[in-house]
Amino acid sequence: MFDFLIDGFGVALTPLNLGLAFFGALLGTLFGALPGIGPINGIAILMPLAYTLGLPAESSLILLAAVYTGAEYGGRMSSILLNVPGDAGAVMTTLDGYPLAQKGLAGPALGLSAISSFIGATIAIIGLTLFAPLLAEIAVMFGPAEFFALMIFAFSSMSVMMGKDPIKTAIGAVLGVLIATVGIDSGSGVLRYTFGLPELYDGIDFVVMIIGLFAISEILLMLEHAHRSEDDGKLPPLGRVFVSLKEVIACKGAIGRSGLLGFIIGVLPGTGASVAGAVSYTTEKRLSDKDNTFGKGDMRGLAAPESANNAAAVGSFVPMLTLGIPGSGTTAVLLGALMLYNITPGPMMFTERPEVAGGLIASLYIGNVVLLMLNLPLAGVFARVLTIPRWVLVPAIAILAFVGVYQLHSDLFAIYLMLIIGVFGYLLRKLGFSLAPVILGYVLGGLMEQNLRRALSISGGDVGILWQSGISLGLWIAAALLLVLPWLVPKLLSKKSREEAQQD
Amino acid sequence: MRIAADRVLGVALIGLAAFIAVQALQLEIPFSYEPVGPKAFPLGLSILLTLLSLVMIFRPGDNGSWPHKALGLRLLLVLALLLVYAVLFRQLGFIVSSLLVVTVLARLFDATWGKALITGVVMSIVGYFLFTAALGISLPSGYLFASFI
Repeated sequence: MFDFLIDGFGVALTPLNLGLAFFGALLGTLFGALPGIGPINGIAILMPLAYTLGLPAESSLILLAAVYTGAEYGGRMSSILLNVPGDAGAVMTTLDGYPLAQKGLAGPALGLSAISSFIGATIAIIGLTLFAPLLAEIAVMFGPAEFFALMIFAFSSMSVMMGKDPIKTAIGAVLGVLIATVGIDSGSGVLRYTFGLPELYDGIDFVVMIIGLFAISEILLMLEHAHRSEDDGKLPPLGRVFVSLKEVIACKGAIGRSGLLGFIIGVLPGTGASVAGAVSYTTEKRLSDKDNTFGKGDMRGLAAPESANNAAAVGSFVPMLTLGIPGSGTTAVLLGALMLYNITPGPMMFTERPEVAGGLIASLYIGNVVLLMLNLPLAGVFARVLTIPRWVLVPAIAILAFVGVYQLHSDLFAIYLMLIIGVFGYLLRKLGFSLAPVILGYVLGGLMEQNLRRALSISGGDVGILWQSGISLGLWIAAALLLVLPWLVPKLLSKKSREEAQQD
Repeated sequence: MRIAADRVLGVALIGLAAFIAVQALQLEIPFSYEPVGPKAFPLGLSILLTLLSLVMIFRPGDNGSWPHKALGLRLLLVLALLLVYAVLFRQLGFIVSSLLVVTVLARLFDATWGKALITGVVMSIVGYFLFTAALGISLPSGYLFASFI
């Protein structure tokens, strides 16, 4: 059963792939630490470059996955040292991380977060190894109707769990799906929304989309912070460099529980590291905050979200690799990267392209060890990245974005399109939208329509096929429950409490 | 009803949905055996988008913080600069266009002129050799300078 993993290690341990995992981990940590460049931005910027290197699919996936997990490590730096979360997954890290740094314990805090991240990710990688092949076996039975229902489930779970405003999450996803309809319709050959522009016949290119949406909008967003706190950027002293074994052992419960919790949350489609961090922190606070020390620099309050967000980052590979449904915005980008290589992730990947699935999973084991070895001794070096001024960072992002998009077709149209998408992304972010649903919608939109139409072709237009099988019916019910429950439960609860209040 | 950013957005999105629906209805479809065709999916999405936008119009969120005048001006400047970069990218070639744009961009992000110029020179030249020699990407050397190189 684990043949794929043994083969996978054979792939991951070749010098090239080993080097790429190391290089990606290093680059990812740096990108995660840089202000404003989270995992998605890092991957968005690197992906076209990885593509031009002419790497085989598994190698570039190994590189990008190492960047992704590395960025989750790097995101904690600014959370702990500056109280500024590097990305959404690291928000909870600030709560106890920054108070620890203020106490002069920045060094141990960074060390502890590296170890918690390592253990959390390890738990999740083992979970991935065990569950992914099982899920793939089940998913082989999925037909187009089941896949369509699964995507509906993914979108509704995303609407409920991701971001503050479910309506905006849903609108973002719909906009993403709509963007995916641009171009030649594969079913009928009809041109849709191309406005007579031949450049749009193939649809809006994936690289143009993510670089515009993330990198360009980030440049515009960074302008707001250009004036602010250039002097506040001074780092607190790291204090002693290593965390003691005693301190780590004191957190073992928090790390273990949060790792498991984070993995489960990561596996759910649409819910990524940020949800995992929040849930694990509140759970741990409820369980073990007996002296009311959480939020004041409690090591367990740092270990819990760090373990959970790395576990979730790995967990979101499970639906992506087995079902082709990404669990987070970043895995959506990785999914798109695979599609550039004409590989459609899904249940068949474990049998048809075992070198990709197995190689990726094996490289996660390796990358995780590399990250721990890099991060423990080099925390001080990485921390200095935080002091890179924006006037260096922004032009560098601009150059990378332009070159990345230009090299696709040596075409200026793509660059103009990237700028337009960038303004669109900026406006969405200013209006309180999260971009992850947009990218998820964009990546899944084409598949969603194809599966819907395929299912209805099979049934000759009878809509009933969409919920005929037990699996698809179950998914529809689960999706409906997810949408209704958060709205219904508080109402029921408040009714109950009102009745109780009347009895008093 | 107070005017909120979300309401303006909601109205704009309904307009977008209508546009999408009209465009979809105008598609001319050759005969096919497929029961759904290319129209239904965008039409369904435009209905969904309209419904969601209506919810947002009736229950807008908070207004967020929008850039004040000075910042808005700088925002437009950065955008214009990126546009200029796109226009000049081929005309002047990668090195010269990057040198100009990076210098001004660094200046807009509060570098001194000296630092901005150094950033521009280093990034454009190092970048050119990194991308072309190390990564094998072909970058424009510029129509104006083509005769010299």
